[in-house]
Amino acid sequence: MPPLHEPIPPDVLEWCQAELGLETVPAEGPEVPRDRLLAFARALKDQHDFWFFLYCASTHYPEEGSAGEEGHKPDRTLVAYRVRRLPHAASGRPTQTFPFRVWVPTGESTPSLAEVWVGADWQEREQFDLVGTVFAGHPDPRRLMMPEDWPGHPLRRDYAIETGHFPWR
Amino acid sequence: MAVTLSHSLPVQTLPRTMQVGGVTVPVDLVTTGWPDPQMRLEDYDPEADLMTINMGPQHPSTHGVLRVKLWLDGETVVKAVPYVGYLHRGVEKLCEKLTYVQLTPIVDKNDYVSPMMNEMAINMAIENALGIEPPRRAQYMRSILAEIQRIGSHLISVGTWGLDMGGAIGGGATIFMFCMRERELLLDLFEELTGCRFHYNTHTVGGQRHDLPVGWDVKAKQVLARIVERSYEYEQFLVENPICRARARGVAVLDPLLAMECGASGPILRGSGVDFDLRRDAPYAAYGEIEVRVPTRTEGDALARAMVRVDEIRESARIASALLDGVPEGPICALKPVKLPGAVKLMEGETAYAAVEGPRGELGTYLVAQTDRKVGQHPYRLKIRSPSLHALSLLPYLCPGHTLADVVVIIGSLDPIMGEVDR
Amino acid sequence: MIVLFDSPWLHGALLGLVVSVSLLTVTAAGLLYERKFAGRLQNRPGPTEVGPWGLLQPVADGLKLFQKEQIVPAAAQRFLFLLAPLLVVVAALAGAAVIPWSAELMVADLHMGVLWALAMASLMPLPVWIAGWSSNNKYALLGAMRTVAQGISYEVPLLLTALVPIILTGSFRMGDIVAAQADLRWFALWPPGPGAVAFVLFLLTALAESNRIPFDIPEAESELVAGVTVEYTGMNFGMFYLAEYVHSLVASAIAAALFLGGWDMGPLGSGLHWMLLKTLLLWAVIFWIRWTLLRFRSDQLMELCWRWLVPLGLGLVLFTATWKVFA
Repeated sequence: MPPLHEPIPPDVLEWCQAELGLETVPAEGPEVPRDRLLAFARALKDQHDFWFFLYCASTHYPEEGSAGEEGHKPDRTLVAYRVRRLPHAASGRPTQTFPFRVWVPTGESTPSLAEVWVGADWQEREQFDLVGTVFAGHPDPRRLMMPEDWPGHPLRRDYAIETGHFPWR
Repeated sequence: MAVTLSHSLPVQTLPRTMQVGGVTVPVDLVTTGWPDPQMRLEDYDPEADLMTINMGPQHPSTHGVLRVKLWLDGETVVKAVPYVGYLHRGVEKLCEKLTYVQLTPIVDKNDYVSPMMNEMAINMAIENALGIEPPRRAQYMRSILAEIQRIGSHLISVGTWGLDMGGAIGGGATIFMFCMRERELLLDLFEELTGCRFHYNTHTVGGQRHDLPVGWDVKAKQVLARIVERSYEYEQFLVENPICRARARGVAVLDPLLAMECGASGPILRGSGVDFDLRRDAPYAAYGEIEVRVPTRTEGDALARAMVRVDEIRESARIASALLDGVPEGPICALKPVKLPGAVKLMEGETAYAAVEGPRGELGTYLVAQTDRKVGQHPYRLKIRSPSLHALSLLPYLCPGHTLADVVVIIGSLDPIMGEVDR
Repeated sequence: MIVLFDSPWLHGALLGLVVSVSLLTVTAAGLLYERKFAGRLQNRPGPTEVGPWGLLQPVADGLKLFQKEQIVPAAAQRFLFLLAPLLVVVAALAGAAVIPWSAELMVADLHMGVLWALAMASLMPLPVWIAGWSSNNKYALLGAMRTVAQGISYEVPLLLTALVPIILTGSFRMGDIVAAQADLRWFALWPPGPGAVAFVLFLLTALAESNRIPFDIPEAESELVAGVTVEYTGMNFGMFYLAEYVHSLVASAIAAALFLGGWDMGPLGSGLHWMLLKTLLLWAVIFWIRWTLLRFRSDQLMELCWRWLVPLGLGLVLFTATWKVFA
């Protein structure tokens, strides 16, 4: 059985294809290049009414294969955003959400969206704290959940629950 | 059941409105230039002798273990910095080691005031990823339970808000006890249905675990009618009380655009005049088959947010009673009763997102399934989009300019549940 | 008046001891009463476990407080920190000296009796400020600052409203004021108008003076945790608690004497029991208010005092004086 995804709104889909040069946009959201993320987000909010920030969730994917081999994928995180637009009173458009994603190799950073949506501020702090994705230009890049001196980022795949390096204190 | 929404406050019947992104918002609430949460204290007034005060994490009115660092000029707050994480249990990490069926009791403990909503959100996400839909009877039961849970949650919210203003030994405790008295009836209902009073574990992948007992609907309707009757009492106690009005009116007026950007939804957004409710605008479960009326307020202050909650108590009681009349017969779970914890498997590397309208706003679950066949019964990544976290991030914007005594009123009106904020 | 000894010192000491001990006992019983009362108000039984019907609850509370360790914070001013709770109780009890319990029973019938009671009530902010400052805690300091602001402000309307019966009687002596209200000519009822308003205002300001809800800003446990008492433990804390109750009890007694005719009940006779009844009724009203109302914010409290109560009090005094001269 296919998963039930909320479809991407058609007008955003068209714009997205034109903007990013994609032929198809998967239901879980287009992958946006990091250097175009900020402009993309700003256009979403200003042109397509996506005022409502839902979440930002980083997922860590460890390195696959070894360097130089075919199919090698570096250690990286996938940042998934989702924004919502509220129902349009005049045209009768229902409320819709739009997901988009960014790949961030470990050691590099992705632009912070906190200046586009205020709500991204704490969400990105949380993702930095738990997964270790670095958001460049964040106004307040501190940890949110863990203590300030906590070593490591607990939601990374190599930070296992059972292993001994879990720092009990 | 005849339910009237409250009109005890003079409501601006036709506020001047403007359109932002297709949304109608009251003009008077829209402000230019929000306070800067990263404000440098040197910019405030170099002459001022500021007092730094640390509120929490052990403080009676921060609704749990919230810590707020406040800079006071006299008693006026200049800057507020919230610190969260004192209740961080690593639920998202823990979920990566549990099977899909085992997730439900864990997420129960997130928003410990409305566990039903958590269960519903996570199971809807798993069902979306699996591509199954629960049977109609289960859908109805989910809606009914969610509405009853919403009443219980709002009762706590209104009661503790009274506690914030009246103190634990004083008038505030009285309204709190009144609210607890009614919530007790709801917990009795849940106990009869699920055997638990609090962390129910009654939703499961594909439907429900426990069918409605015989006679439960009659009892539930009696309880709901009683709560509607009593809800006017709270209104008198809180809203028609001149001291409460003096304390809460005009306090922390929230710009609807700021609330939207911040992702604060639910009563906070509706208190600022934005008419948005997932139950009506993106129906899930059985809400598509019933009219959902959405109470809104255009004042945007702390009192308006509390009033929206009191109105929602009545509206939820109406919805639940109406749904109880039409519960269809049939199975309550789309899957066969799941015996083995690892019976549900997702292997596609699929993602899914499902959102429900929780008592505090949009409660969503974002799920990434495993790519590895061997461990297909565990999620790869689970993110709970908790409305309380978004609401709490409004605090640095709302506090400056108000007094220390107002800070607790503001926190109470945002109604954060720290278990959900920190997860 | 009962005169126990010829020496006023011995007389005062013995009678004062009797009255103080009775007051503290009544306060302890009042604690139980309040908890039962609040319980009924909130659909719960209140204390039931200690002794029959929970009657020994105050004893258990007292024993618990005595057992607790008295912690003095390292950064506190030790001497002042320990002195403050004593001074608070002394200030609260001293006001009771001039209360006319009955025509015979009075510790001291001073010719400036009302002034003495009000002066002792106004003394309260001083030990509370000492406590707040010596605790070396920001919450305590904020609470203490609020106490001082509130105490100083509310003295003014308190004094102004107390002036109404004084003007009507023409004497500061408590005994004279009560005697002037003989035969049910209570100042709360007669002359119609100023006396009744003054009574309500007196009760309100007395609530503020004794830091009771809706004016318990200095304690304000929802934002200041416990205000001035935040660093106190054990019986030191208990003293503050006790002083608050004694203070409100003394305020009710003075209100009963000034406005409700004290020991006199007209055709129903007179005596100690009527005075006690009136006092306890007023005390119960204070409890009732406490468990029903929410709390004001400190700036609203000041606004209420200076914008409404003080002008109203001044007007009352003016009106009463005019009445006295022309009627």
